[in-house]
Amino acid sequence: MAKKVLMGNHAVSYGARLSRVEVIAAYPITPQTQVVEELAEMCAWGDLNAKFIKVESEHSAMAACIGASATGARAFTATSSQGLLLMHEMLHWAAGARLPIVMANINRALAPPWSIWSEQTDSLAQRDTGWLQFYCESNQEVLDTTIQAFKISERVLLPAMIILDAFFLSHTYEPVEVPAQEAVDEFLPPYKPPLKLDVDDPHAFGALVGPDGYYEFRYNIQKAFEEAQRAIIEVGEEFGERFGRAYGLVEPFYVDDAEVVLVTSSTITSTARAVIKERRARGERVGLLKIRVFRPFPFEAVREMLLGVPKVAVIDRNLSLGHHGIFHAELKSALYGQRNAPAVFGFVAGLGGRDVTPRTIHQILDIVGSQEEPDRDVYWIGLKAKAEEGQPAGNGRKQRQRVKA
Amino acid sequence: MTTAIRPESLPPMAITWDSTRVNKTGSWRYLRPVYRDKTPPCHAGCPTTNEIERVLYWVALGDLDRAWEILTAENPFPAITGRVCHHPCESRCNRGRFDEAVGIREVERFLGDWALRAGKRVEPLVPKKSNKRVAVVGGGPAGLACAYHLARLGHAATVFEANPEPGGVLRYGIPNYRLPKSVLKAELHKLKDLDVEIRTNARVGQDVSWDELQRQYDAIFVATGVWKSLPLRVPGEDLKGVLSGLQFLKALHQGQGQPLSEELGERVVVVGGGNTAMDVARTALRLGKRVVIAYRRTRAEMPAIPEEIEEALAEGAELIERVSPTKILGEDGRVVGIELQKMRLGEPDESGRRRPVPIEGSEFVLEADTVITAIGEAPDFAGLPEELHDEWVVPVDEWGRVLRQKVFAGGDVIDQPHTVVDALASGKRAAIAIDLFLKGKLDRKEADEIRRRIELPQGGLSMRRYVEDPGALLLDNTRIVEYEQLNPAYFQKIARTPPQERPPEARVRDFSEVKPGFDWDEALREAERCLHCGVCNGCDNCFVFCPDLAVTRNAGADGRGYPYAINYDYCKGCGICVQECPRAVLELVREGSGEGG
Repeated sequence: MAKKVLMGNHAVSYGARLSRVEVIAAYPITPQTQVVEELAEMCAWGDLNAKFIKVESEHSAMAACIGASATGARAFTATSSQGLLLMHEMLHWAAGARLPIVMANINRALAPPWSIWSEQTDSLAQRDTGWLQFYCESNQEVLDTTIQAFKISERVLLPAMIILDAFFLSHTYEPVEVPAQEAVDEFLPPYKPPLKLDVDDPHAFGALVGPDGYYEFRYNIQKAFEEAQRAIIEVGEEFGERFGRAYGLVEPFYVDDAEVVLVTSSTITSTARAVIKERRARGERVGLLKIRVFRPFPFEAVREMLLGVPKVAVIDRNLSLGHHGIFHAELKSALYGQRNAPAVFGFVAGLGGRDVTPRTIHQILDIVGSQEEPDRDVYWIGLKAKAEEGQPAGNGRKQRQRVKA
Repeated sequence: MTTAIRPESLPPMAITWDSTRVNKTGSWRYLRPVYRDKTPPCHAGCPTTNEIERVLYWVALGDLDRAWEILTAENPFPAITGRVCHHPCESRCNRGRFDEAVGIREVERFLGDWALRAGKRVEPLVPKKSNKRVAVVGGGPAGLACAYHLARLGHAATVFEANPEPGGVLRYGIPNYRLPKSVLKAELHKLKDLDVEIRTNARVGQDVSWDELQRQYDAIFVATGVWKSLPLRVPGEDLKGVLSGLQFLKALHQGQGQPLSEELGERVVVVGGGNTAMDVARTALRLGKRVVIAYRRTRAEMPAIPEEIEEALAEGAELIERVSPTKILGEDGRVVGIELQKMRLGEPDESGRRRPVPIEGSEFVLEADTVITAIGEAPDFAGLPEELHDEWVVPVDEWGRVLRQKVFAGGDVIDQPHTVVDALASGKRAAIAIDLFLKGKLDRKEADEIRRRIELPQGGLSMRRYVEDPGALLLDNTRIVEYEQLNPAYFQKIARTPPQERPPEARVRDFSEVKPGFDWDEALREAERCLHCGVCNGCDNCFVFCPDLAVTRNAGADGRGYPYAINYDYCKGCGICVQECPRAVLELVREGSGEGG
């Protein structure tokens, strides 16, 4: 094991290299580019024995990964934003074909207007494609999750997406423990596909299935997602035993006695941790729940953590237009109708890469602390607007009433 | 059936029970891709129909033996044409439209020189010898080519050469710095290998009579060339110091260089703009003379090979354009100057070049010790029967045959361009015609069928097509591939390999060759630039791009068939292979049209 100072993108590359990926097909896009640049160099220098396929689009990148994975190769790619959207058709195919492809997606806001900065809407818009989704908080988690993702994916035969924030992680350097290759090899044996393309025994893959069978195939995929919950926990624990860093579906921080729990994902979590520590020092009973795995959605884990907590505030750096922040909506669906369900506040913050600072999080905690229940579906935090339309800093209802009066 | 499908009994992904080979998707096809080699423009543009594309293909792969065999099927003397040919192939090369034409001639020379060094021997193309005898009158390129091809077709050829050595213009015209005598001698050794008898100092009508030839030989090929210089028809032409270009060159080749040089004086004016004029000018430069070339049109209209003009000027010859001699001035019976009249260019004449028109009163005098004329040559028909020729040429039919007799003709005595390669081509054409004649096929319909099979779009006849099994001929000899038909997305721009060259100031001091020729690396690099227009070179594009995996590599390919085969059971006729073929080999034909098998 060695400690290296790596940018988030290179943490992905190192994770892929240690996982001994066999085929890489990728198309460059800011802010993902260094992921595949580094892998291309690793291939060129002979540090990684993989076939590197240059393609003309992300759709082709995923198609190539699908082909490679169907032959039993360990396939990897990385993309971001518009590139991920272009892959959309192939994402469904990869999952339906039960191919354990691993992909890193760097969260970047969608155009127009053009933006290269962080926002989760690109990956969250793929939530129904049948991919496992891991949202990472640090470069260490990025590297560790890449290695775990192959093990989990290959066990349940579902593709996995490792997700990291543009620039906040992708281009930020952090010290990262890089495990030894032998240790990773012990943890992650070569992929043994249950089914693979074989020219000597030709079959058509993804054949036509009528209404009498399609339903069962879908049922099996859903069952695989259930199995994935167990796999993620077990693999995360095994990883902890071998490498000293355990992972799960969610990660609680001062949740036990908390009266208010923030629910976060990705790098906003780190900022929130600092605020929670500060408030705890002042004696406030606040806590934090990081959601690491978004698909499969950890229904049981969040219920276990949050039922009985009076108030929960979800911070979303994403938005389902015409609905809510997406973690917010998903969390509500997990808690709905449950006994002792908390009041759930939803905050949309930091779209298009706008900074979510400790001050932003203090503001959120102030709003949640000042009222028993949310007085609106979505709170926009930090919106630059005319004073009368602006977001109230304290009790929203009162202020709005004042405007009306 | 539904009872069989239980979630736990399903594979991870839906796959067919059996191979999808049962689904013959080829039945959906209404267009059929077929491989069909077409004629590259270099191949068609070469009078001797050299299969340049194949030659370059094998050179690039390093198989020089194979390249040489293909080349010498058509052209007996690659080391010669590789030096002196005016390379119409390069003017037609499609690569010229992409970046620069392939340096075909230099590769040909490389291959020719390699074969000489390697001591390669040519063998007959047909195993059996006929008992037919053919007389070849004239041992220049046309006659030697005819004898070479006749011998390779199994006939006994005897060459009657008036001069002491064979070679014609190759020996007595082209100077050493363009074609060393050692190369000529080595190339002509092929005739000895093929048991061709060459009788030198045997002038027909003097040393042997025409009637004798008629009696003793089954066929006669006449290629006596053009050895009479056309006169200037100006006053003073009979002065001492006025020479004809051919006379001058021949004297030099016969080893009279030194006395000739003393006779020439300092200042030499060469009149004319053809290859003979350039040879004369450059030879005079090498004898240490000051040389002026006087030409009646401009440099652009000069019939000489452009490189020859360029090299002559680089070596110090001075060119005066748009002038015509009106008088040669003398003192005591010897040249002292030449009077030239300025010309302007008028309307184009029948050759397409603008006709020079004299400008009255523009005459001026150039001092000169010697005037050498090279404004054209005419044949000398002495010794040949009257009925064979008119004033200027021996008229021949499309086979090179004279008056439907057993007499054939070629080279500069027939109506064709006066070039070495055209002479070689006419010799080959006559050899094929004589072969057909001796087998009694020439006057039959069969000859037309054969001609259709072996003739390329610009009229050249291919010996390979003549001797090959017709079923093995892949190349469609009726269609030339033009640049627009290629898919240049697959080509990379690569500069033409410049041949090494001795600097002008060094090379005018002697008669050694100007260019040393390509080395191995240069030849390979240049051969690799060939785009293989219209001929499959196994690039794998069709194989790689076929979405139905219906293109397979043809394991049995031995260089005679295509390296790929299409499985029409599964080819849907999408046409992607046709689109992606860089060289227009693949084409689509309508299903059921009967084309393409």
